[in-house]
Amino acid sequence: MGEASKISRYLYTVIVLFIIWMFLTSSLDPQELEIGLILSLIVGALTYEVFTEKGLANLHPKRVAYAIAYIPYFIWAMIMANLDVAYRVLHPKRPINPGIVEAKTVLKNDLGKLALANSITLTPGTITLDVKEDRYFIHWIDVTDESVEGASKAITEPFEKFLKVIFP
Amino acid sequence: MVKRALAIITLLLIGFWLAKGLVGVPFGEDKMLVGEYYLENVKEQTGAVNAVTAVVVNYRGFDTLGEVTVLFIASTGVGALLWRRKKERSAKSEGSVVLTAGAKMLLPFIMLFGAYIFVHGHLTPGGGFPGGATVATAFLMLYLAFKEYEIDHKVFEPLEGLAGVGYVTVGLIGLAIGGYFLFDWIWQTWQFGHENIGRLFSAGFIPIIYTLIGIKVGTELTGIVDNMIKEEPKGGGQ
Repeated sequence: MGEASKISRYLYTVIVLFIIWMFLTSSLDPQELEIGLILSLIVGALTYEVFTEKGLANLHPKRVAYAIAYIPYFIWAMIMANLDVAYRVLHPKRPINPGIVEAKTVLKNDLGKLALANSITLTPGTITLDVKEDRYFIHWIDVTDESVEGASKAITEPFEKFLKVIFP
Repeated sequence: MVKRALAIITLLLIGFWLAKGLVGVPFGEDKMLVGEYYLENVKEQTGAVNAVTAVVVNYRGFDTLGEVTVLFIASTGVGALLWRRKKERSAKSEGSVVLTAGAKMLLPFIMLFGAYIFVHGHLTPGGGFPGGATVATAFLMLYLAFKEYEIDHKVFEPLEGLAGVGYVTVGLIGLAIGGYFLFDWIWQTWQFGHENIGRLFSAGFIPIIYTLIGIKVGTELTGIVDNMIKEEPKGGGQ
């Protein structure tokens, strides 16, 4: 999927900015909305070329639904991972087995790769060190499988089933 | 060793001297003489809820004009110091995909937030200078994330000048209408926004001046970054 048309990309940027503006001001005062719309149009015009490649296609209902569903899923993964690290810290023998592993991803989109890298880093126990093409270099606190396939299965795949729908 | 000891003793003496002077100023007591006047009259006279911006832009407008001038001189000075004919970015390697994709994604949000700060100068803490600095960080981020990135000088430098000229023009219109420089003609003469103090369209010319200052500061700091991040191309002798 290539780049969407300029109008679609511009409109998408303006819509996103306007929603952010409404969260920032958290008021429905018509004066705020007017200025917010004007500023969204201006900032959108300055930045839409950098901001988005797919434009309005990002607002496809299925992708938005997956993105919303991803939030609780991710928060749950984060809580579990934090508890796991707390267990390792508090355990008298400190059962750690650190190492750097390589994992691969099926994601093609840059934003998807960013989301995956951040998801990996925010779930403690794993930290993304570098991303090259479809390879992730990850520092893992408890290396159970050194092979590329095994590491991918344990680290990247749980997030990918959501992210590959959100960022096709 | 002796040098260091002497420096420490001198600093202690200066500190003691300052502390002795401050003993006479107790905390938490009403010391305001002019401040009382500002707080009592700020709403009727300027329409701003944020007393700090009212003081900075309205009551003491000349100081802000001076600050804007200082920034302009700093930007021009850096430009003059680092002036070379051919300038190139010296960045050696592009950031990883995490950095570049993140920078692309954050750019519009940072710019919108900077605009939010300077548009709401009369209502919330902030104003033109923090807002402009926030906008400049958006460009700094682009400079740091991308090897090739460069601002459009044909747009940036005229915009910087125009914003400064706009500020002075607003002041000069006040001189023509009200008799002194930086007279708040929108509030005092037009009475625009008198019925909705505390909402966005109020406070006379404060939001307008702060928008201009925000644009000016944003472009200026970006210009400074642009000047400092560039080096002479390899091979060009010095």
